Amino acid sequence: MACEKILKLFQSELVVVNVGPKLFAEALEKQGYKTVQVEWKPVAAGDREMQEILEVLGGLD
Amino acid sequence: MDIFVKIEHGRYIDSLETLLASTVLNEQTGVEIGYAGMATKAFKDILADIGLLTDDISASDGNAFVIAAKAATQAVFDAAVLEVEKSLAPEESGEETVQTVYPTVKAAAESCPKANLCSVAVPGEYALAEVRKALNAGLHCVVFSNNVPLSDERKMKELAWEKGLLCMGPDCGVANINGAALVLASINARGPFGICGASGVGIQHVAAILHEAGTGVSQTIGTGGNDLKNEVGGLMMLMGIDALEADPETKYIALIARRIGDRVEGPILERIAKCKKPVVAMFMSCERKAVEQTGAIWASDLDDCAVKCLSLIGKEYRLDTDEEISRRAADAVKFLAPCQKYVRGAFSGGTFMDEAMRALIPKVGDVTSNLPLKPEWKLADSAVSVKNACVDYGEEEFTKGRPHPAIDPGVRRPAILREAADAETAVILLDFILTPPGHMDPVGYVLDDIRKANEQAHAQGRHIVFVASVLGTDADFQNVSLQRQKLRDAGVLVCKSNHQAALLAGEIIRQKKERDENGV
Repeated sequence: MACEKILKLFQSELVVVNVGPKLFAEALEKQGYKTVQVEWKPVAAGDREMQEILEVLGGLD
Repeated sequence: MDIFVKIEHGRYIDSLETLLASTVLNEQTGVEIGYAGMATKAFKDILADIGLLTDDISASDGNAFVIAAKAATQAVFDAAVLEVEKSLAPEESGEETVQTVYPTVKAAAESCPKANLCSVAVPGEYALAEVRKALNAGLHCVVFSNNVPLSDERKMKELAWEKGLLCMGPDCGVANINGAALVLASINARGPFGICGASGVGIQHVAAILHEAGTGVSQTIGTGGNDLKNEVGGLMMLMGIDALEADPETKYIALIARRIGDRVEGPILERIAKCKKPVVAMFMSCERKAVEQTGAIWASDLDDCAVKCLSLIGKEYRLDTDEEISRRAADAVKFLAPCQKYVRGAFSGGTFMDEAMRALIPKVGDVTSNLPLKPEWKLADSAVSVKNACVDYGEEEFTKGRPHPAIDPGVRRPAILREAADAETAVILLDFILTPPGHMDPVGYVLDDIRKANEQAHAQGRHIVFVASVLGTDADFQNVSLQRQKLRDAGVLVCKSNHQAALLAGEIIRQKKERDENGV
């Protein structure tokens, strides 16, 4: 398997996009790493039926 | 006691924060039971189970944040809500920081071109969608989410494979990339050892010993516990070996797995046979011969894995010998009263409980548990220990509505005084795990209970022997050396590893039984 992208990660500054509890991002920042927070919440307030409709309509990003 | 409720429509609090809020709520005086969360169906089901569901909550949707409790008075509830709000407020850092928050992974990746890894911790049913977005944005992933269907896991790992990106997890508890401790890992020194494993605690343990011995890890790649199941095919373990073999900073590779699916074992062993770097493999379910035929060094357990890694660079790590354990046990047995016969283990994770039970059984015989090694040893009630018993407080029965004990040690707290009150308890065996997002003083949190436990026991002519281990490093914010010293100062017998702690606990029980039988 080609490992170029993984080796590039190993040689780069780590910058983390955090999806979910901020606790994990805060723990990384306390260690001196940069993080970017995504304000995640269930699509359509967790309504499965609405999510399926949105997926069909291409409204899920 | 009446039910009191506070509903805020349009306020979103993430899952871990709501769990911590529930913990704070339940610790308030005058609150019998409480629960906080977003008003999803799953949340309402739990409220119905614990008798807190009201019509107002039923009528709320998943965009509402709810705090519900059975409390003595409205004033008690209001005061409790105030404490919950304090726990939800961001910590004062002294300087004002404004962090931009993005609505989607795509928006975050586009606005921050240097971003290279995505940490995903959303409910399992949503994990695949978020991981797909991250991989499609060119981000490697570490996925803490659990309860992800195996078919979803396979899909995300196939996409990662196709794109040449890491997908560590789902259910990945530990990874160290470029020196950063991700999810629930410890902070480790950098060094020549690359670790890839399907057991988070296993990776953390081996890395911690390497750190303690003055060396360290290049990278650690947690694959998630299900990676080596037939349905997933070991895709991330195979990618991890490829990456560590190609990484110039990695000179030696350590691989860790508990159980490997029968259709996955062959391809993994074939890959190890082709690896150009020295490999130490701790595969619990594999025959020693099969591992050694690949040219890898076989390790019997986690301690052995670390010791064999260190031998590759001419370093030694000294564990207590059987004689030393026997001597420590003999000293402890002297203080036990005739009625004290059994060991009671209270663990914050399944891997360590499993390891401890395997170490205990040859010395004490059957070990009952909420997650026993044999079905007939299952405890009817996890709160009522029978003879020699171990309980995993990381299991769902305890963590439903609360965070994992590594983050919230309160989950395990009641066990100490309860077990100590049982006249037959001789030894209480505890594990402590350190990690940046974890409790800042997990040992300090229980010291008062340890002291009270022995005060109560002494009043009845008994002495409880506490045996413990602390997993972590002196680079962790909690500092493993300080945590261990606090335990020693409280009279706890501290061992270098969980395995050694279980051996000591088992030896105390064995010697006690011998003394009781022979009157020695």
